[in-house]
Amino acid sequence: MSLKNVLENWSDYRKTHEQGGHHEYEHMWTLAIDLNKCTGCNACSVACYAENNLATVGKEKLHKGQGMHWLRMERYWDEPQMGGDDAEYHERGASFLPMMCQHCNAATCEPVCPVAATYHTPDGLNAQVYNRCIGSRYCSNNCPYRLRYFNFYSYYDTSWPEPLNQQLNPDISVRDKGVMEKCTFCVQRIRTGKDQAASEGRELRDGDVVTACAQSCPTQAIVFGDMLDEESEAAKLWAKQQVELGPYEQKKDKEGSELRGYRVLEALNTDPCVMYLDRVREA
Amino acid sequence: MSGNDINRRNFLKFMGLGGVGAATLTGCDMPTTVTIEEGKEKVVSYLAPEEYVIPGIGNWFASTCQQCPSGCGVHGRVREGRVLKLEGNPETLNGNGLCMMGQASLQTHYNPDRITQPMARKGGSLVPVSWDEAWKLLQENAGKVDAGRSAWFTGTVSGHQAVLLKALNKAWGSQDHYVYEAINNAVGEAVNEAVLGEAVPAYHLNKAKAILSFGADFLGTWVSPVHFAKQYAEFRTGDRGILMQVEPKMSLTGANADMWVAARPGTEGVVALGIANVLISKHQVSGSVLPQAALDVIAQYDVNKVTEVSGVSGDQLVRMANYLRGNSPSLVLSGESAHNHENGYQNAMAAMMLNILLGNVGKTIDGSNKLAVEELQAKTGSSAALLKFAEAVDAGKYDVVFFKGTNPLFTAPVAMDLAGKLAKVPFKVSLSMFLDDTTMQADLVLPLSSPYEEWNTSVAPYQPVEAAISMSQPLMNPLSSETRSFGDLLLGMLKHHGVDGYDFPSYYAYLQDAMDKLPASIKGSAVDFWADSVQKGYVKATAEGGSLTTKLGDLSQKAVDVGGDFPMHLVPSSNQTMWDGRNANLPWMQEQPDQISKVFWDSWAEIHPKTAAKLGVHEGDYIRIKSDQGSIDVKVYIYKGVHVDAVAVPMGRGHKEYGRYAKGNGVNPLSILSEVIEPTSGELATHGTRVSITKTGEHEELPRLGGSETQVGRRLVSTVSAEVFRRTEGA
Amino acid sequence: MHTKDINENIAWAKINEDVLRSMENPRVGYWVAVAACILMVSCAVLAEIYQYQVGMGPSNLNWPHMWDLYIATFVFWIGMSHSGTLLSAILHIIGADWRKPIYRFAEAMTTFSLLTAGLFPIIHLGRVWNMYWVLPYVSDRGIWPNFRSPLIWDAFAITTYLTSSAMFLFIGMIPDLAICRDNARGWRQKLYTVLSLGWQGDDRQWRHFRRIYLLMACFLIPLAVSVHSIVSADFAMSIMPGWHITSFPPYFVAGALYSGCAAIITLFIILRYFFRFEEYMTIPILEKTCKLTFAIAMVWSYLTLVEFASVWYGHDMASKEALIARFTGAYAPFFWVMLFCGIVAPFGLAFERMRRHLPTMFVLSLILNVGMWLERWMIVTPTLESSYYPFAFDTMWPGIVQWAIVFGSFGWFGLLFLIFVKVFPSVSMYEVKEMVFHRRHYHSEEQAVKFHRRATDRQLTDQPGTEGA
Repeated sequence: MSLKNVLENWSDYRKTHEQGGHHEYEHMWTLAIDLNKCTGCNACSVACYAENNLATVGKEKLHKGQGMHWLRMERYWDEPQMGGDDAEYHERGASFLPMMCQHCNAATCEPVCPVAATYHTPDGLNAQVYNRCIGSRYCSNNCPYRLRYFNFYSYYDTSWPEPLNQQLNPDISVRDKGVMEKCTFCVQRIRTGKDQAASEGRELRDGDVVTACAQSCPTQAIVFGDMLDEESEAAKLWAKQQVELGPYEQKKDKEGSELRGYRVLEALNTDPCVMYLDRVREA
Repeated sequence: MSGNDINRRNFLKFMGLGGVGAATLTGCDMPTTVTIEEGKEKVVSYLAPEEYVIPGIGNWFASTCQQCPSGCGVHGRVREGRVLKLEGNPETLNGNGLCMMGQASLQTHYNPDRITQPMARKGGSLVPVSWDEAWKLLQENAGKVDAGRSAWFTGTVSGHQAVLLKALNKAWGSQDHYVYEAINNAVGEAVNEAVLGEAVPAYHLNKAKAILSFGADFLGTWVSPVHFAKQYAEFRTGDRGILMQVEPKMSLTGANADMWVAARPGTEGVVALGIANVLISKHQVSGSVLPQAALDVIAQYDVNKVTEVSGVSGDQLVRMANYLRGNSPSLVLSGESAHNHENGYQNAMAAMMLNILLGNVGKTIDGSNKLAVEELQAKTGSSAALLKFAEAVDAGKYDVVFFKGTNPLFTAPVAMDLAGKLAKVPFKVSLSMFLDDTTMQADLVLPLSSPYEEWNTSVAPYQPVEAAISMSQPLMNPLSSETRSFGDLLLGMLKHHGVDGYDFPSYYAYLQDAMDKLPASIKGSAVDFWADSVQKGYVKATAEGGSLTTKLGDLSQKAVDVGGDFPMHLVPSSNQTMWDGRNANLPWMQEQPDQISKVFWDSWAEIHPKTAAKLGVHEGDYIRIKSDQGSIDVKVYIYKGVHVDAVAVPMGRGHKEYGRYAKGNGVNPLSILSEVIEPTSGELATHGTRVSITKTGEHEELPRLGGSETQVGRRLVSTVSAEVFRRTEGA
Repeated sequence: MHTKDINENIAWAKINEDVLRSMENPRVGYWVAVAACILMVSCAVLAEIYQYQVGMGPSNLNWPHMWDLYIATFVFWIGMSHSGTLLSAILHIIGADWRKPIYRFAEAMTTFSLLTAGLFPIIHLGRVWNMYWVLPYVSDRGIWPNFRSPLIWDAFAITTYLTSSAMFLFIGMIPDLAICRDNARGWRQKLYTVLSLGWQGDDRQWRHFRRIYLLMACFLIPLAVSVHSIVSADFAMSIMPGWHITSFPPYFVAGALYSGCAAIITLFIILRYFFRFEEYMTIPILEKTCKLTFAIAMVWSYLTLVEFASVWYGHDMASKEALIARFTGAYAPFFWVMLFCGIVAPFGLAFERMRRHLPTMFVLSLILNVGMWLERWMIVTPTLESSYYPFAFDTMWPGIVQWAIVFGSFGWFGLLFLIFVKVFPSVSMYEVKEMVFHRRHYHSEEQAVKFHRRATDRQLTDQPGTEGA
């Protein structure tokens, strides 16, 4: 390696990074999750375990907060000020929220990684390079959604005793201790979809790629798609709800709006790629 | 391979799409595929894989999920000879979706605790034996058994397995086939049968504008949850329907309800009558569709009385009645927590009365489409079967009992002393994948292959849209060469018994033959019916939906016992995570937090904050739940989703056996059930146990996911009113 | 009452003798201390080996507590390192010569606490073996670290600061090393011969020495400030409530000086007692150090209150909650102890009688440092306990592995320091001599009248300056 190479290298690095990453996206993968349809059944979460080689860590470790639920189904009870306290029972049920990596376009996890193990891909994904990760865990600390999970142990030692290991998806790796991991929007499925489209000599179409969670959802509450493909179902849902990537406030937040689309904690200007649609309540 | 010019690949080329070739193409990897030379099975290395196998590329094959009796169609992704992922078969009842049990059924297949060889009881413990020895033992003990002195005790069976089972029983001269499911809808079926003339009618949740459910957890464990979830999505879109749930402990469906009403356990029928009372007296709904006797009973249950009995306030009754009145057609369902009481039949009857009163029958409840071939239809489970079986066993009726697909020693109340009674059976055979609590008591254990290693046909008990036969095909080679499919074992037993007409080399061959013999109305016009069915994963047989009657039975309600020393009601609730306990050996399911309480890997008791305050317990404190049959100590989870008079302990954990993941995790509430029986249907009233609870003083942090139970002012789940939703997105 | 900060009649030979004596003949107590430190380090080494083998799990780190004691202790040790710079560089530039007998060990403390602090970012990595990836080394694959990450800035800042402070320590020691060389035998003589770089004490050498020393001092001051500002950026640059606070850089620097000064008091008393440095490390010097510490403590306390106030008036819900959670949450007891140790306890320094009482000062200095260590922990952990996402609220108590490594880090520091005091002069001989010389000529009453060179100096003597002559 000559000095010239190093300098060129450095200059390449400068050129690609000085503007803060990619601006010409090839795809912009997004999710639209309708909380009106979501029943909190957890199928998506187990599908995620099956698809992404998520370790089952056992009672003690999961209780210690060392588990690997990339897609966690959150359940909230009503708050006292919302009328939940004076009633004797939770008369209006629970609120469920499936929470996976929001693939923020202004991701707070990305700038803080010392080794650039997490970065934004031209697909609009917030990628995590396991091989590059050194486990400083700063990204997880800086994720306002707390959606990054760390391999506190070599979970493969205990998670997949023979022959459970045969179920492991060969499309993606099994992570070793010391590595941060999180939802990838099933990047292996995106890869497969692209390869398939390329081998058929065509552009990627809506429906070519479906994440495991969106696929398994019995109520089809989760819709996955490319925002840049205006014909995709996800893009249409975003457009219908007038939710845009970029601003930290949506039309829904304007006075008198009756739209349902919002993004979780978007006031932090993280610009997440997951849109949620309001839960609907009778009273 | 090199020495042989004709290898499998060429063989396929010769065969084209016909015959074995087609089967080979549709199946993933056939144990029965033969090579051309000697008709022997041949192991083919990856150097010469199947034509369609491209390393690195997954292939999808259709099969059927057997994790619960709903029988959802699946597509399994197979790569390099291993099945990796299951997804819903879009053409079947469940559509794209697949519930978490279905997803996790892969772990049943790959489970490290599977039995990999036959075992026999020698000197008090189970030891591995060879198949030859197993067959010999079977022949010695079961072969010469007298007519009528053998029985089968199974979970839901259907399809050609049911046909073979029937033939086998016939050969043995026994009619005794007990079908037991701990989570069942038997009381509801009895009422449906009596009133509608059909045990399992079709429910159209998507056509309803309002659903009132008395403990029917149709999103979780009731009848066919994934199918209902699909309908639920439709029900909630457009002119969004209203969901009301009346039950003592919040189920998943209850958590999604617009109105969750806690009724004192067992008083669901009274609530239904109260609503009817309001509908007739306040809303001028014509009661003329009901018989006079029913109207008389309804007239007794005015709002005050209902409030007194059930604890449901007048305001709630009126609101529910309003919703039902204003949103037609509606649908009233009843399920687990309403049925499993001493008065379960009356509860279900009262719920059915509302359907008739509101004119739902024929609109949202329809005749289902039964498969024309009756012998293939599912034998659905009930706990009455368990009681009858226990009685028969106790009377020493059987010399041989076969167990398959059910674990009664875990799910039966200890009060029944089933283990003690089973000791009277000289020879118990368990056909099982796992050493579960029942299998551990068997004298002979025959290892079954997993649903994804075998050929099979099944027919889902619930056939709402089209009658269908679900096809199962092996998604991969068996993990162990010593396991056998249930079909093969039945066929083997028939052969050993010398029954004519079952001279097939394998169940696969039998199945092909049997499918070929199906009536033309089912076979349709496919060129290659077998290949077509296997490829699609189902055979749809259009059948006329039956019409329903409305013969309402007696509505009079039995008062719920005050309880005396045992003031609380024990609600052994069911959930998808553990189902009846069969999922306890799946690490994915243990790791999944419960849908409502978010507890994982352990049991918990749900109590109301008021009850907790009275006892002085906080989350994680142990309470002792004591019934007349014994007591269990369990940690509490406190929330306002359980009736003040109830303590809910989910069933499914607390196994004494059943592999490394299940053993020793949690407690089994079924172990302290009193033997209460619903007299009309003969079902076990699992929710009828009265208990007292005391604080033990011990504490252990509850393993529960999630730091906060509320959103703490963050807008995480944003909410909009239904009124706005209907205006902006309504149809 | 003894008010002179040093006895100006002390013989120069005695200075040499006293300091050199302290470097020789370690007694039992010394060896016991060394053994104790080695034991402590072994605890940490064992814990680290275990952690290396098993993963970060046994440390009880979890989701969402990805950082805990390691980072807190890292910040603590970085803070410690600021005292040396303060005493040697800042006080040097502003001409406070009472620093002279005590700056040497303070500088050593700087270097050694950096050596300790530098271990923590490495220890806390999930994959320690890849730690060099944070350095911008020339990679064939053209992979660079992420220069936007504060952790990379940390790597730069710490390595730079460590190099500079070690250089500063070494350069300042050269004249003393020459004295050692001239008085030593055997391996020591060889060592000091090499290290003293041929120092002969001639005019040219002194001139160069003064220049480079001043230059280093000027370089080190902004560096020290920037180092702790950068360390604070680990938090301030994040988005988390309780971390994302603009006042963090000055707050951290103040905290650093605070804990450093407190540690100087501790070591001052230890050295004075064990090495009988009563004539050099005098009570008036201690008093001055204490006054300085008190002043910094007040600055720090002010900044602490400013932090609360700015969060309070900021009306950011999440930050406010995080603040309230620190006062009332699961870690609140530690927070209150921290406030007591950091804000209330330093008032002990305000009283002359307490300042002059060594045991009191010793205990007090330890209390201050406990407070400062807790402060770092209370910055790291409560924010992780409850921030934006309610579902991830969690209280975590560090595991034995973390405690062992934190415990061991004190042993490591102690061990380095113990080696230092027996190998290098822990009191600057030449500067004490300067100080004594200065006192002789400026502080005796007679001389003071004669040579009083304050504002009126020039007018009095009206003599041409001798500089440059």
